[in-house]
Amino acid sequence: MNKKNKDLIKLSVPNKPEYVSVIRLTVTGIANRMGFDVEKIEDIKVAISEACTNAITHGICQEEENFYIDFSSDEEKLVISVYDNGKGCLSNNIKTPNLGELNEGGLGVFIIKSLMDDVEILPNNGKGTVIKMTKYVGDDM
Amino acid sequence: MSLMINKSYDEANKVWNIKLDGEVDIYTAGSLKDAFMKMLEENKENIKIDAEKLDYIDSTGLGVLIGVLKKLREEEKNIIILNIKPSIKKLLNITGLDKIFVVEG
Repeated sequence: MNKKNKDLIKLSVPNKPEYVSVIRLTVTGIANRMGFDVEKIEDIKVAISEACTNAITHGICQEEENFYIDFSSDEEKLVISVYDNGKGCLSNNIKTPNLGELNEGGLGVFIIKSLMDDVEILPNNGKGTVIKMTKYVGDDM
Repeated sequence: MSLMINKSYDEANKVWNIKLDGEVDIYTAGSLKDAFMKMLEENKENIKIDAEKLDYIDSTGLGVLIGVLKKLREEEKNIIILNIKPSIKKLLNITGLDKIFVVEG
């Protein structure tokens, strides 16, 4: 007996920085409709932007290509998967940033992991990576 | 959705005042970096950022700020951030950057 109502939204987005703000607006609409509170919507906005920034910077070898985002939702959670076309240079072994060294990069995945309830970084069939991240509508289980 | 940057140099107090209005992401971070680099060329002094109207920033913008701070530290100068929104404060907390920049108000 599966009474959960699962919805799927798919986006294909040009590999261009100007579209990241459009994705933030899109996810705000989806999360708002699902009943997320303002603070969680802000978390999701930052996390999805970081994932898209990764997809655009690591997948930029083919500028004309698009990257893909899936939004899968049911009553209790939103699962966002961002597929890049890059060389799969992300890993699950992201360390806590060492601020003593003041590095400009490397914060993105750390931020995603801090803001989302569940994060997986998976290979995308040998063609880049997928960042799959989940946020629960209610309090974390 | 863009970013407006309003900067002025306070000669008397030897401090840069910069107001950010809008969003800093991968699209707008470049213009923010250019603005900071021009400021540092003119006067390498403390930078006060008024973030009252800064609606959004992510790692691309934080990376720019870290780069600027590195250059300021050579002269023992700092970045001071004022009027920060709660969502951005949270981001500074989780990245530990609240201990690196001076966050006021």
